[in-house]
Amino acid sequence: MKKFDVIIIGGGHNGLVASSYLSKKGKKVLVIEKNENVGGLAEYAESLNCISPIIKKELGINVNNINHSNNIISLEDNQNHTILSDKNGKLSFVQTNADENDQKKFLSIINNYKLFSKTLGAFMFQKPPRVKSGKRADLFQLISMGWKIRKLGKKNMRELLRVIGLNIADDLEDNLNSNNLMGLLSHEAVLGTNLGPRSPGSILTLLYKQAINDNIFNLNKIEVAEYINQLEDCCNKNTVEIIKSSEVKKILTQNNSVTGVQLTNGEIFESKYVMSNADPKTTYLNLLGAEILDTDFIRRTKNFRNKGNVAKLELALENEININNIDKKMNGKFIYAPGIKYIEHAFNANKYNKYSENPCLEFYVNQKTLSANVYYVPYLINTNHQENEIIERCVSVLSKFIPDMKIVKQKLITPNKMEEKFNIAGGHWHHGDLEIDQLLMMRPFYGSAQYSTPINGLYLCGAGTHPGGGLTGINGLNAAKKVIEDLK
Amino acid sequence: MNTSKISYKKPLLETPFHERTSEHCYANDWYRWAGYKVAKEYSSTELEYTSMRNTAGVIDITPMHKYDIKGEDAKKFINKLITKDITNIQSNQVAYGIWCNEDGMVIDDGTIFCFNENHFRIFCAERNLNWFSDTATGFNASVEDISPSIAALAFQGPLSCKILNLLKVENIENLKPFHFNNYNIENHNVTISRTGFSGDLGYEIWCDPSQAIDVWDSLFKFNRDYKVLAAGMNALEMVRIEAGFIQPNVDFMSAEQALRPNRMRNPYELGLGWLVNLDKEYFTGKQALIRHKEKGPEKKLVGLDIEGDKPAVGSVLYDNSKKNQAKEIGIVTAAMWSPVLKSNIAIGFVSKEHYKLGSNVYAEIYHPEELDYRKIWAECKVVKKQFFNNPRRNETPAFT
Repeated sequence: MKKFDVIIIGGGHNGLVASSYLSKKGKKVLVIEKNENVGGLAEYAESLNCISPIIKKELGINVNNINHSNNIISLEDNQNHTILSDKNGKLSFVQTNADENDQKKFLSIINNYKLFSKTLGAFMFQKPPRVKSGKRADLFQLISMGWKIRKLGKKNMRELLRVIGLNIADDLEDNLNSNNLMGLLSHEAVLGTNLGPRSPGSILTLLYKQAINDNIFNLNKIEVAEYINQLEDCCNKNTVEIIKSSEVKKILTQNNSVTGVQLTNGEIFESKYVMSNADPKTTYLNLLGAEILDTDFIRRTKNFRNKGNVAKLELALENEININNIDKKMNGKFIYAPGIKYIEHAFNANKYNKYSENPCLEFYVNQKTLSANVYYVPYLINTNHQENEIIERCVSVLSKFIPDMKIVKQKLITPNKMEEKFNIAGGHWHHGDLEIDQLLMMRPFYGSAQYSTPINGLYLCGAGTHPGGGLTGINGLNAAKKVIEDLK
Repeated sequence: MNTSKISYKKPLLETPFHERTSEHCYANDWYRWAGYKVAKEYSSTELEYTSMRNTAGVIDITPMHKYDIKGEDAKKFINKLITKDITNIQSNQVAYGIWCNEDGMVIDDGTIFCFNENHFRIFCAERNLNWFSDTATGFNASVEDISPSIAALAFQGPLSCKILNLLKVENIENLKPFHFNNYNIENHNVTISRTGFSGDLGYEIWCDPSQAIDVWDSLFKFNRDYKVLAAGMNALEMVRIEAGFIQPNVDFMSAEQALRPNRMRNPYELGLGWLVNLDKEYFTGKQALIRHKEKGPEKKLVGLDIEGDKPAVGSVLYDNSKKNQAKEIGIVTAAMWSPVLKSNIAIGFVSKEHYKLGSNVYAEIYHPEELDYRKIWAECKVVKKQFFNNPRRNETPAFT
């Protein structure tokens, strides 16, 4: 029986960050990964660029942005697409149907949101404070949060407090006329959430995403595979043991404290500290077992909203892809969400666990291949997705813009498939919705915040913790710091 | 629950005994219990009380909630639910237990009947289906609310065994306290448990609703000699105070229902520490209860022996015999003049400095006298909650 200082369940990027950090501090670390490769969901993280500078600095990661384009192209049925260009965060219109007044207002809304998200951004990379802990550090952090909001000035603070619970549709309809522009911003607000443009709190999710990514449209992409390789190298350099193709069956406990983990093949590894990169539901209900958790806690675990609704579609075509009315050289992020009404209708189906006839798409084109995020494709319980039907619907949307589509290869990864492959209950990108009651010190839920759990020696380090999903690596880093603190 | 029987004119359900209870209920004074109507008082609370203390009284307790726990992990489930360890429970045995939330605050109490390792039945006063179902997560155990399928009577009093004997219920006198078995009352199959809340000899009778009326009638069969009475909730309240049994949402707020966190109570505060087994590997609230035990209760539910004869209902308790120097130290939750003990008794919360047995505290009693209140400053002695505990209660074979 092997003994380790810390065992990490799951070699997703947060698990790798945590193990790199811990091993750098001289701890003997074991990472157990279910799949053949580490990296987990990062494989699908096409449009994420948000590795925090803190991680890069602490772990010596150096990944270049592949700045393949600065354009955001919002497609429209009448082929009068809107094209925005982003030069280091400065947005300008290249082509649009919207009148000048709308353009101006659009940019000013975005500037406003940027200002607010900066205020939120200050809290993103820290361990969220605990309310009523009685500790001075927590109190200080809470006060500084309040102070940062107050520092916006009276007018802006009021505006922030006004919009923070608001739905994005209301705010946009107050200011804009162009359906296309409204659809574009709504898309960014609702992608990857269980919200429609008219759901309260959809502005908050936009601000939150923006705060994490430091950019509203997530344009600068990184070479994800390269990032994961570097993390793995970093682990190997520091003698982290990584076991692949092995699944953890159970976290072993005794007397409310962790003693180790057992694999599905029966092998047991001992450790007093276990970090789970799995989502909270899987960790508590499957790996740990509900039998040793308080009933109130189980209630909260079960009530954690973690239903994914984004599917990944990968298409390979026979010919090079050209989009109607778009210059061949023009590349970037294509969005098809032509209006608030369109998105809201797609969302309506999702409420009843159906996928809409008219899905929303966000896609990237690379010569003959196309990869898209499709929503809403809800996570289904007890039934299966009609995958061909979903693909057909997507293709019928795409064929409005791509003439003569001859598909050579197609692949759809539904939330259910993500659940199966990565053991993420609900197949949610962020392991759980980013909504006001599941954020900051409330993430994932009361009794489990600040990366700790009710079981001594068990920690969470996955996207289910603050600050949520999105390749920041902050979850893993903060959790590892917490373990180091407790190891002392 | 058969909701078709509910209308706006008759918003409450009737128990299977209603045909009889409504005949007995001269006062037509009904109490609302879990959606059912049960009699508060039939004709005279004092008479009903006296029947329970001298012969036997019959109380319709059908509205009690009944939950069946079935499955391989049924016992494990119970052990996670309640604070007591029931690992060694045998078939046909009854356990009394309480369950707490994660903060170690009491939600409810109940009796747990063990049919076998894989089948338990919980009887409790409040609704608990949600709590039980959530607790069952991860166990191979099903929780089913079977409340409407069982009619129940409490048959309490010194002559209860004698009357069952006269009804030819075989071997009933050898049923030990906190045990149950299947019996036959005049060709009706019933389950009888030797449990109850009177602090005296008594039984609870569980039967199919279709047999309810016949079973009821049987119990009154020997009334020429023994004068069994139907007893209402008011009389029940009297005997349970004398016996020192506490009631959720009367003596303490159930943790599932309290809105104010500081109104919740832990077992040590309720004097139920003996029901908590901290050596047990795991149960809900264990970590919190370890802390509560270490800290010791800030206040405690105790019995009070009060001077005079005016019941201290709703009284505030003080620490000094001189009113103008007195500090508030507690509150009375239930009080009565006890006819059988000939004393003025109460149950109430008393703070840390005063809950030791034998200490003196003072109650300000507001006694109504013809549209005016007389304020009485009465001395009280802290005593055990169990004011009335007749040895008959635990004797086997039972008194006949």
